[in-house]
Amino acid sequence: MAWEYRIFKDLHQIPREEHVFPGTPLCAGCGGLESLRLAAKVLGNHVVYVNAAGCFTNLASFPFTPLDASWLYTTMGSAPAGAQGVRDALDVLIAKGRLPQDEDVKVVVLGGDGSTYDMALSSTSGAITRRLDFYYFCYDNEAYGNTGVQLSPATPYGARTATSPCAVRNPVGAVQEKKDIFEIWRAHRPPYLATVSPRFPLDLEEKFARAAAYRGPKLFLGFAACPTGWLFDPAYTPDVARLAVECGMWPLKEAIDGNVVHTYLPKLSPIEDYLKLQGRFRHLFEPTVQKDALAHIQATVKAYWDRVQQGDSV
Amino acid sequence: MIAVRFHGRGGQGAKTASRILGTAAFSEGFTAQDSPIYGSERRGAPVSAFTRIAKEPIRERGIITRPVLVVVADVSLIGDPAARMLEGIDERTAVFVNSPLTREELRAQTSLPGRLTTLDLTTIAVREFGKRGAISALLGAVAGRLVGLRPESIDRAVAQELADLGVDASLIRRNQTAARHCYEAVPLVPVEKDVRGAPGPTSLRAPTYDPPTRGTASITAGPNSAIRSMSGWRTFRPVLRPDLCNGCWLCFANCPEGAITIKPDGKPAVYYPHCKGCLDCVEVCPTDAMTVERETEATKTT
Amino acid sequence: MTAQMMTGNLAAAWGARLADVDYVPAFPITPQTEIVETLSKWCGTGELNARFVTLDSEHSMMTAAGAAAATGARVFTATSSQGLLHALEVLYTVAGWRAPLVLVNVSRALASPITLEPDHNDVLAARDSGFVQVHAETCQEVVDSILMAYRIAEDPLVCLPVVVNLDGFVLSFTREPVWLPEAQAVRAFLPPFRPTHLGFKASTPQALGTAVLGGSTYSYFRHQIHLASVNALQVHEQAAAEFERCFGRRYDVVEGYRIEDAEDILVMSNAFASKGKAAVDAAREQGRRVGLLRLRMIRPWPADAVRRALRGRRAVAVLDQNLSPGQGGILYQEIAACLYHDVARPRALCSFIGGLGGKNISEAEFHAVFEQTAEAGIQGQGGGPVLLYTEAEYREMEQLQFLAHDLKTGR
Repeated sequence: MAWEYRIFKDLHQIPREEHVFPGTPLCAGCGGLESLRLAAKVLGNHVVYVNAAGCFTNLASFPFTPLDASWLYTTMGSAPAGAQGVRDALDVLIAKGRLPQDEDVKVVVLGGDGSTYDMALSSTSGAITRRLDFYYFCYDNEAYGNTGVQLSPATPYGARTATSPCAVRNPVGAVQEKKDIFEIWRAHRPPYLATVSPRFPLDLEEKFARAAAYRGPKLFLGFAACPTGWLFDPAYTPDVARLAVECGMWPLKEAIDGNVVHTYLPKLSPIEDYLKLQGRFRHLFEPTVQKDALAHIQATVKAYWDRVQQGDSV
Repeated sequence: MIAVRFHGRGGQGAKTASRILGTAAFSEGFTAQDSPIYGSERRGAPVSAFTRIAKEPIRERGIITRPVLVVVADVSLIGDPAARMLEGIDERTAVFVNSPLTREELRAQTSLPGRLTTLDLTTIAVREFGKRGAISALLGAVAGRLVGLRPESIDRAVAQELADLGVDASLIRRNQTAARHCYEAVPLVPVEKDVRGAPGPTSLRAPTYDPPTRGTASITAGPNSAIRSMSGWRTFRPVLRPDLCNGCWLCFANCPEGAITIKPDGKPAVYYPHCKGCLDCVEVCPTDAMTVERETEATKTT
Repeated sequence: MTAQMMTGNLAAAWGARLADVDYVPAFPITPQTEIVETLSKWCGTGELNARFVTLDSEHSMMTAAGAAAATGARVFTATSSQGLLHALEVLYTVAGWRAPLVLVNVSRALASPITLEPDHNDVLAARDSGFVQVHAETCQEVVDSILMAYRIAEDPLVCLPVVVNLDGFVLSFTREPVWLPEAQAVRAFLPPFRPTHLGFKASTPQALGTAVLGGSTYSYFRHQIHLASVNALQVHEQAAAEFERCFGRRYDVVEGYRIEDAEDILVMSNAFASKGKAAVDAAREQGRRVGLLRLRMIRPWPADAVRRALRGRRAVAVLDQNLSPGQGGILYQEIAACLYHDVARPRALCSFIGGLGGKNISEAEFHAVFEQTAEAGIQGQGGGPVLLYTEAEYREMEQLQFLAHDLKTGR
């Protein structure tokens, strides 16, 4: 299931050169920023980031930017359309001889889960259907983080947010299942599609490197462990990110031309290991253990990996 | 009217402190008004909050530019231009700073104007709560004491405001205990009861047309964020013990900020002005070579 | 140079073609669709050397348009009505980027209730976005205004997007003779688009549209958009003079029709102004000294030109083809505001609402407007808003209500 060939076999192969510089106003311990920093080491600086409204909007906050690449802030619902306009204009200008080929840049959309899973779905779907040559990086922190952590379509079952509180009438918190954006994307048959985690930096670097070979939409769903929104000490970002993968809740996988391969086989440790680290799930354990809810989460994870074992494509 | 301005960093509780003060004053029969202001930045970034207390209706809104009392949750805010902590302060303003230093030591180090008073709230909080976190109740209690509110009303306000935030009962009780301690321990300075006279004249100067290179919110000097110091965000700092480091680069790979660089010998080094103190590097270090030290006033300026 | 019969939509497409645009992001909506269909065809044949892309919505279309302009391409796009409102957020965004492009809006009244025929609440909803607004009366003016629009938009003193408005049906689907400028002459009038402040190049990265924290920084940038828009008045003047030199047709920010000796003036915009001019002629034959002032540029607001045209008159009637519920006509308010400080302001200012949802304005209605306006001038007492709605229309509406609610068909 894992790949035969890898470029990144050792942490010492991670490029030392930085393209996301320090001094950003993002929260300490931001898992999304960590993923972006690692991604940019492979993407380089000949890039224009087309940003959707979200936490990353704060990256370029006048008069400071941490990027040695370009940036265009669009709207919450249309960053992929912004990428379309930039890519098309670059192609036209190069074809007409008004922009030298060596001035070309990669177009990379940055969107949070709120934008990616709902509001920008129309423009994303359109861009993939048009086979737009671009990268899409979603930093998924499973809530509307920049507005103070409210329920988003990426919020998992059982998580407490400001708009899915643990309450007498609804002790579980969020009762929805996290939307499967990976499969929604995959149904569009993009040439490259992957999930990544900042705690698996070699896997992340490898995927960005592999994606470069493909022309067309290249989609990355990044696990953005969020100390502020998930209520854990920033020091535990690496642990939360690791346990999400190891307990099977955040599968590391990629899909090339629609064929899914899991790039890491987790231990499938109990989901409680992961949940207990985070304040957003504390109500599942205190004051009483919500056994049904925990069993439901565990069963959902198990069902997923059972399908993987049976060789189903997901 | 008493105008109190709180300065903190996101997560320290400046906003809640302003509410505790507002609620306590209201419960004593005053007219009160409290409000925060912050960007979309979160933990670690400067936050201001305002409480106005009066016997008569309050005909002001928004930021307080001429406070009679300033409450500073973190000494690093004093030198942070983004915090605008010094705005409107003169020798008659009462200024409380959360610091282990005495007022004389602080004055010597920072040349802050105003009637200074200090108390080491962070140590009290760490002792009482056992971890880093919000000190809103402590800040609120100090402010309440300095403006002359009663301890019982502070006590009730702490309970009410923290309960609104979903804080559990036992932690609320510990907050009340710590708050009462701070209420009694803070050295008193006089707080003026009235906002001073009218401000001086301001001349209006509307900008004229600038070429579109400057007339739109763009940045061409990037990457330039690294000139900002993040040191003030830290409560703790990672410190590398080179003798224990095996050169695995896990800390380098896992630092969200890119504050860890690799030296020519292949070993990592933390560049402190870029470190927000998340301590992810400490957590991932397989040999415990990354250790934790509590920030002090002296180290924070690096 | 010979004239050809063409619709307003085809004239709009010709404007884009003659401007030699690089990029056309598109989305269909009635009554604009013919524009993008035509451009799609020309991009296919190579008659227009541009990339044509159909987006998933007007919101995306406008984002792609602005992003391409911000990258350095000359961009044309078009929409109508609901589409313009769907893109409204992005209009503000693109204006803030200071990305010059031309958007054609084919006016159509807004839902609900949904309809297809024109009024101007759609384009006026975009009034405060920062887009320069030019409203056309004829198919000829559509193509000419688009060419002038690129010149104004791309001027370093402006660097703002421009919306050129034409009325659905009465212009978009109406054929009339149009003299197309020679491509060679257009190239002389409209220099190539080579912006210095835009572009995302590998060698010179820039961050555009960054967040700002704090009201004073925001105030500065928003105010810059205002100053740029105000600059468009003088840049329009230069463009108009140059256009006249090149093509022999002259367009000013406002157009006066028989106003020199007019006692009373009717103010209108867009295609129905043609009917207003005919009404002026008819009223003149009956001995009324009336004229018509057509507003061509709505943003920036040509306050001086409006004042010059209206000062010293006995009475002024503003016929708004829009309605701000709870207030009245939108342009009436703007005209009232800019006349306030003029010592020679008209004795009476009357507000009329007409042509909502494309409703016809009959000669009789114009007659009533002139009559009421003259009386208001004599009395020194303006008023309104008065909805232009005839007795016959009132009775027809009663009949429709009867069918909708009262007639029992026995089912």
